[in-house]
Amino acid sequence: MNMKRVLIIGLLSGLLVAAAGSLFAQRAKMIQVKGSDTMVNLVQIMAEEYMDKNPGAMLAVLGGGSGTGISGLINQTCDLANSSREWKQSEIAQAWEKGVKPRIFVIAVDGLSVIVNAKNPVEKLTLAQLGAIYRGEVKNWKAVGGPDKKVSLYGRQSNSGTYVFMQEFVLGNRNYSTDMKEMNGNAQIIEGVIADEGSIGYVGVGYLYDEEGRIRKGLKIVPVAKDDKSPAFMPTDKAAVDSGDYPVARPLYQATNGKPGAAVAAFIRYEMSPEGQKVVEREGFFAISPKHIAENEKNLR
Amino acid sequence: MNRTALTAVLAALAVALAALATPLQAQQSFGTTIFFDYVFFLSDNGPLTSNDLNNQFSFRRAYFTYENRWGDLRFRFRYDADNTANVTSVNFAKSSTSTDGKLRPYMKHLYMQYDNLLPNSSIKVGMADTLTFKPAEDRWGFRSVAKTLMDNFRDVTGVSISATSADLGASLTGTMTKYFKYGVMVTNGIHYTSVEKDKYKQIMFQGTVVPLAGFSLVGYMDYEKLSQDEEAKTTKLDANFEMVKNLTVVFEWFAYDNDKSKLADGTHFDMQGWSLFGRYIVKPGKLTLFGRYDQYEPNTKVGDDKVGLVIAGFEWQPTDKAALKIQPNVWYYTYENPDKKNDVVAVMTFFWSF
Repeated sequence: MNMKRVLIIGLLSGLLVAAAGSLFAQRAKMIQVKGSDTMVNLVQIMAEEYMDKNPGAMLAVLGGGSGTGISGLINQTCDLANSSREWKQSEIAQAWEKGVKPRIFVIAVDGLSVIVNAKNPVEKLTLAQLGAIYRGEVKNWKAVGGPDKKVSLYGRQSNSGTYVFMQEFVLGNRNYSTDMKEMNGNAQIIEGVIADEGSIGYVGVGYLYDEEGRIRKGLKIVPVAKDDKSPAFMPTDKAAVDSGDYPVARPLYQATNGKPGAAVAAFIRYEMSPEGQKVVEREGFFAISPKHIAENEKNLR
Repeated sequence: MNRTALTAVLAALAVALAALATPLQAQQSFGTTIFFDYVFFLSDNGPLTSNDLNNQFSFRRAYFTYENRWGDLRFRFRYDADNTANVTSVNFAKSSTSTDGKLRPYMKHLYMQYDNLLPNSSIKVGMADTLTFKPAEDRWGFRSVAKTLMDNFRDVTGVSISATSADLGASLTGTMTKYFKYGVMVTNGIHYTSVEKDKYKQIMFQGTVVPLAGFSLVGYMDYEKLSQDEEAKTTKLDANFEMVKNLTVVFEWFAYDNDKSKLADGTHFDMQGWSLFGRYIVKPGKLTLFGRYDQYEPNTKVGDDKVGLVIAGFEWQPTDKAALKIQPNVWYYTYENPDKKNDVVAVMTFFWSF
């Protein structure tokens, strides 16, 4: 074997050793959590409090949207996928093909909040009116009891679980208006609505409050009714969300690949615990029901 | 058949154009992917390694991709450049061509995709990826190192199968349940670097059955009439094992039957081959090991012509901050023909995308 060949083989071996070495630099197992932007702050805070109480536990929480989290679980690049919508049939099929068997947990409930600029006098909206506004069928606030002003739509991008939930649940699976401004996240929608007097947006209830726990200045939450004959409720009304009277509420999910391992299961148990649910409520979401807890327990076994 | 195919293409095009009739808020993305090799021959007496092109950097591909999405409607444009030089002139007297020695750019994808017109489905119209290689390429995952079995042996055997990764036409793919996926595509059959030369179209069918989580079978067939009396058919079967976390193992088999494939005495022959490949992700985003064995028979009527190929290597991503990947790999060719010596080639593939 000549010198050049020895050099090539030596170089290849050196690279393999370097690559292997970089793997073992980090020995402790980091739990990777990825997905919904609606959930990222909530899960991040729960993870920090959990790590404070459990030295040695390591969690990394990333956003990117529900679709990103779900594909991360399918491609096995994360241990927990956050999603603010149910899994689609095509995602379940893709997971099955790749040997991933998703188990779904509900960790909080979100009353999706409909927000307008604080100067907008509109008093309430029905689910049908909300759908018509976002489909672009209602273009002026006057048609739904508001001022003579053009409606300016703010929503999320299509990789967002919130986008999909609204489309299925409020728009009746029809397309959003082509005029809707598709924003990167809840915070951008809030900024847009505060700056635009004719605006309407939707955000997770946890994003409504400022650091002092008050509704952000310049925002107004619009009560929503199931139909013309029903009373309208606020998304901040826990009793109305729990009873289903507030019509735009949704569970927030986490998914694992099959039965979760001990470390992941311990974190999910913390999220479900009274302590974890206190964080859920403190961050503006709603605690899960006993039915959700029973389902979660079943999936942990 | 041709009228049905044309009607299907026009109907899909009309749906996509109708959705484009009003200005929409779009999500746009731009991406570039590049890969090139440093090649060094570890043997010097096989058919490949006995030439002088040893010890060289070899450009492979550069892709520039632009995507635009409006809800269920997407548009994709991909410009591609490979290591084939541009032809700048043709000398008919000498039957020769001149090239400029530069990289050849060409359009790889230019299509519209509309999702969920039928539940859980996608329709693509335009210059789109075909159904032929995708399931195997996705699982192999190292297109930068090597193409998959059906597409990888032209340089060694001198004959190639009429199959392509993209073509002009329309496709419908979808999921029926978690146990079954389907795909059908109608194309010109002339591939992405040529214009249509005849009235005949190629039709492709693909069905995926997933009886167990992580175990799937993909059946594929295509058919094209080449002339009044000639036709070509491909049959392919993939068995995919993905039951163990981070491990993918695939067995692939194909047979290609083209009426134009004839020996000097007029005897018709087929091409066929099989491949077993796998990859193991040691650490996601850091280190992956891969290996593969192909056996390719360019002519079923000639003995001693089988080619065997072992590829082994690993992928190392030195930093999480950028999609830079280094993929050292070794290719070991064996030939059934005893007159041909083995070829052994060391390759350092550099891959990055941004």
